[in-house]
Amino acid sequence: MVIIEMLQQSIAASPLFFNLLEKTLLATLPALGFGMMFNVPPQTLKYCAMGAASGYGARFLLLHWGLDIEWASLFAAMMIGAMGVFWSQQTLSHPKVFTVAAVIPMIPGVYGFKAMIALVEINRSGYTPELWAGTLDNLIHACFIIAALAVGLAMPGLLIYRHKPVV
Amino acid sequence: MEMKEVIVFEKNEQREITRLVAEAGYLLLHNGVESKVVSDIAHRIGRVLGIENVEIALTASAVIITTRLQGQCLTTIRQCTSHVINMRIVSEVQQICIAAERGELDIAGVHQRLAGIDPPRYNNWLVVVMIGIACAAFCRLAGGTAEICGLTFLASSIGMIVRQTLVRNTFNALITFGVTAFITSLISGLGLMFQMGDNAFLAMASSVLMLVPGFPLINSVSDMLKGYVTMGISRWTTATLLTLVTSMGIVGAMQILGVWGVWL
Repeated sequence: MVIIEMLQQSIAASPLFFNLLEKTLLATLPALGFGMMFNVPPQTLKYCAMGAASGYGARFLLLHWGLDIEWASLFAAMMIGAMGVFWSQQTLSHPKVFTVAAVIPMIPGVYGFKAMIALVEINRSGYTPELWAGTLDNLIHACFIIAALAVGLAMPGLLIYRHKPVV
Repeated sequence: MEMKEVIVFEKNEQREITRLVAEAGYLLLHNGVESKVVSDIAHRIGRVLGIENVEIALTASAVIITTRLQGQCLTTIRQCTSHVINMRIVSEVQQICIAAERGELDIAGVHQRLAGIDPPRYNNWLVVVMIGIACAAFCRLAGGTAEICGLTFLASSIGMIVRQTLVRNTFNALITFGVTAFITSLISGLGLMFQMGDNAFLAMASSVLMLVPGFPLINSVSDMLKGYVTMGISRWTTATLLTLVTSMGIVGAMQILGVWGVWL
């Protein structure tokens, strides 16, 4: 919730273009960091960064134009998936090798943690409708966004590469 | 140990190919790629080396492979109880498969290439700094001020050092995640304790984002989508448990710092 609110506030506060530029550049950093943690081949690190920048930027614009975050995530991940197919045919690596690192900036980690922390709190201090509502809200939100991201990444395989491998 | 046995049976081609397929499947499953890719590449390696039919069953802790050649079936199981993420190994197995399909590698060549897979990792300190920067970038994306981002960088970098140390000493993944989350939150929670501005909470929220199990989550949904429902469920369970222990680490740190309730 915090992230969305902050996002909305910053959209209202500053001109769109510079905001977009800042977000896309910032989104490359987690992709590079996680890419290194996943030990992606060095020659594909640039694809992690480019995928993350364009995907995050696309989602930012779609959110700005009023789309729901689930649909925005789906379309952004579809874009990354499509670019991943193109790059994978050049590098002869499966697209998942670098597209997962590219969607990392869009994964709703804070929702997931909030849901689990609310669960721990229910165990500690007992059930209240607010805590349970917090758990469910955050959990469902996280699930839908993750599903959207994963389905989006898989989309080229589901639509076009149904019977032949990508590489 | 494995390789010695393979050499003894070199005359028995089907057995050799089955072992190679199992080895490739094991490497792919162990290094964290989705089930469809494990199954596809294992199939392709078996077929290109001359096997009529390859059937693969995946479970969370083993790869089961049956090959058929001239009416003879051979079944083998490779255990795979631990899962890591190493995309360079996945990429190399894929390239071996492609090279074999182009006719550049025969059975012995595939054997040699598979046995020789040992790619380098990125320098640990480089990863520490990059993960610190990554979490600081998350913090900035959420609207954190410069000093909050700095605190996030510090907390995540130290957390990453802890995580690498625990991984190097082969601790259980759940313990690694819980302890890392605890120490990271202890440091990033200092911002709230000393009231470093309105959005000091963002340091706590962003610094633990390095522990989000993104790969198991994405793989889980992909697996369920592509018909590997049990693999998807097991990956989802793994990811849920990792998130739960991370949260317990965060809660422990919050109780010690006395900043209880900011996450709710």
